[in-house]
Amino acid sequence: MQALRGSPQPPAGLGELFVGFVSIGARAFGGVLPWAHRVMVEERRWLAEEDFAEVLALCQFLPGPNIGNCAVVLGRRWFGLAGSLTASLGLFMLPFVWVLMLASLYAEWVSHPVVKAAMTGVGTAGAGLFIGTALKLGRPLAKLPVALALVAACFVAVGIARISLLFVLPVALPLAILAARRGWV
Amino acid sequence: MLDLALYFALLSLISFGGISSVLPEMQRIVVDVEGWVTPAEFTQLFAVSQAAPGPNVLFASLIGWQVAGLGGALVALAAFCVPAAVLAWWVGAVWERFRDAPWRKLIQRALLPVTLGLVIAGGYVLATPDGLDWRHAGIAAASTAAVIVGRFNPLWILAAGGVLGVLLLG
Repeated sequence: MQALRGSPQPPAGLGELFVGFVSIGARAFGGVLPWAHRVMVEERRWLAEEDFAEVLALCQFLPGPNIGNCAVVLGRRWFGLAGSLTASLGLFMLPFVWVLMLASLYAEWVSHPVVKAAMTGVGTAGAGLFIGTALKLGRPLAKLPVALALVAACFVAVGIARISLLFVLPVALPLAILAARRGWV
Repeated sequence: MLDLALYFALLSLISFGGISSVLPEMQRIVVDVEGWVTPAEFTQLFAVSQAAPGPNVLFASLIGWQVAGLGGALVALAAFCVPAAVLAWWVGAVWERFRDAPWRKLIQRALLPVTLGLVIAGGYVLATPDGLDWRHAGIAAASTAAVIVGRFNPLWILAAGGVLGVLLLG
């Protein structure tokens, strides 16, 4: 526990950065964010809690994979381009190998009806995870009718009517920004 | 494969909140427009990507793998990650300057309802591989409820979905 009290120290070198990000990716069952927090804030003490929250806010603001963005931003902060590349490679290396191994295994068994039924069940449960998480994140919007209308409109346009995002976003984003300016969302 | 790379690179730059917000668009392109995978395969590959550890974005590599093998997997993952990473690299450098800017908070507030609508649409698309079926909808609804009311490890929810899948669909 001694280490926990000391002030956070950036990784000593590219090697430590790499090993840290490998250990995030390799263990990230059911989501990367909790593991990123655990490794960088608790285990290796690279970042203080507030720093982590701030980097995360930036990475959630940007498009792309959130923790992938964190690897780029933090790698750059500590070691420049080499750091960004090292952290990203570390993060994706093992999960990439594992997901392909699992997919190959699955391809062997896909004709088996029980396996197919199980995987469809896992997929639909995963769909429910997304929906549930979105509803949780949307709680602050519950009393904002315009925000709810935007959520519903985006859902119907993209999920039901299957209109391309390339048409939906150019309409939805300006409307959302207008609503935000009026304080409606 | 070039088409795949271009599509994914484009999706990369509009994937606010990660891959989940562009899932419906991804499904529309790879299933409806190009016919690279069937709707059922799309949901099952998503299941594989959820069952493996690591970032959700690896789902992109599985689509690439299905389309063009190992090379396709690498190209798809790179196409989905690199444009966003370049943007993150550039914004990471100027972030300090506009961290507290009012327009940044404005955009963040504006993005939330749009992103949530898109993520829910992605869930709906994944949960209806063969059109609306009460068994799929039931599993998805149960898992949605489990996320909202409980603090279960997502792996248990996925495992329960697998068991329900065998019982209801097998």
